[in-house]
Amino acid sequence: MIRKRSRGDAQKRFRYLGSPSYRALAIIGIVCVVLSAWASTSARAASDVAQAESELASEVERGERVFRATGGCSCHTNYPGEAEAAPLLAGGRPLETPFGVYYSTNITSDVETGLGSWSDTDFIRAMREGLSPDGEHYFPVFPYTSFSGLRDRDLVDLKRYLDSLPAIHRPNREPDAMFPFSWRATLAGWKWLNFEPLVIEDDASRDPQWNRGNYLVHAAAHCGECHTPRTLSGGLDRSMWLAGSRDGPEGELAPNITPDRETGIGSWTVPDLVWYLQMGIKPDGDDTQGLMSEVIEHGYAHLPSEDVEAIAIYLKSIAPIENQVSAD
Amino acid sequence: MTFGRPFSLRSLRRTAIALVLILPFGLASVVHADSAENAPPEVKYRQTLMEIVGGNMGAISDILKNRLDLPGHIAVHAGEMADSAQLIGPAFKKNAQTEATDAKPEIWEDWAKFEAAIAEFEEAARNLQTAAAGKDSSKVLPAMKALGKSCSGCHKPFRKPKEESFHNKNRK
Repeated sequence: MIRKRSRGDAQKRFRYLGSPSYRALAIIGIVCVVLSAWASTSARAASDVAQAESELASEVERGERVFRATGGCSCHTNYPGEAEAAPLLAGGRPLETPFGVYYSTNITSDVETGLGSWSDTDFIRAMREGLSPDGEHYFPVFPYTSFSGLRDRDLVDLKRYLDSLPAIHRPNREPDAMFPFSWRATLAGWKWLNFEPLVIEDDASRDPQWNRGNYLVHAAAHCGECHTPRTLSGGLDRSMWLAGSRDGPEGELAPNITPDRETGIGSWTVPDLVWYLQMGIKPDGDDTQGLMSEVIEHGYAHLPSEDVEAIAIYLKSIAPIENQVSAD
Repeated sequence: MTFGRPFSLRSLRRTAIALVLILPFGLASVVHADSAENAPPEVKYRQTLMEIVGGNMGAISDILKNRLDLPGHIAVHAGEMADSAQLIGPAFKKNAQTEATDAKPEIWEDWAKFEAAIAEFEEAARNLQTAAAGKDSSKVLPAMKALGKSCSGCHKPFRKPKEESFHNKNRK
């Protein structure tokens, strides 16, 4: 039998509800509910913040790996002029080229003189297309020819890492170059002749380590920018890819790093190359000079060993080119 | 039979111009031949000494990068480098005038700085020797890195860069 609730029951119940002890209980209950709702909302907000922070932390961490793979963006720190006291990544480093002296730019997060006001899109466009946020062409001494091959994720991560470093106020400096090499408008022509953004796709017939090496050597580590000779117009001579250059940056000689036995690194083993990129010590025990010693010290030496091995394996796999690079 | 004017003013002038133009090349090739072949014995000795230092550095590198199981070897090589460091100063003391060297004049212009750089190198080599002989193997790699840096600490200010090397060829 189903018992129906009588009116009297309800009245009794209401009477009971009206008792002072119940009121106190009800207030405590409501307070508890409100408090717990507030707590859960703020906990959710806190967990959102925590999640965002940990996402940023992992972006910054991944970004450091990209940063190290570029050689620590060493051209943007004026180590030669100011040694260890040089303001990190604040630019001003003179880069001698056959076309004149160009000064690296401030890539710290300083709003006025660095990249502080840049959006992710601005950054990606600079690296991919060699264009400033205002649409001005960058001189190709900035190797967007290689960096254009960096993937979106890596570019955003790299920016997060750069943003995490101290902002330094230091205005950029215009090049000391003869006309027309000092004139940015001519660069549209230069780009038409020499620049095609890189797209690096994995080769399914190769293992992941080789593909990683291919990506790093072409894009982030931008090895070809110094180790490949240039044409008269200053573009990379792709038929001599990595075969060494006499007119490297800062007037330096960049050795042949194809695996040619006589004139390249054919006699170097993978462990020789890995050790070299981590320690800067050549197989004959000699140390490294010039810009290469900097990109090792501030860049490659800090890479995870699997990345350095990938670079070594890739370099040993490419076609050897006989090219004796001498200083005369 | 006439020979014309064998020493005419014009031909003399031509010869003089030709000589002036050719002479620098001739001299340069003589100097170059000399620089490639004939290093004075004291220069040859200090080059051999530096090759010994480099050889030890290469040997330690071989052991570490290939993870060779050769207990005690690193300490011996590091010790030899520290001992060799003491020979560098006396070996370089005399500034032999020759083209066949990569030693920069700054060595003799700032001898105290040169000696300080050698002292740093010796200390770094001793540190590696101690680390390699000790029980904590994690100290070896950082000590090796510091030693490598001390090589550069002297080469950077006092050795010609490869672009200017008398070897005039790519060093691998």
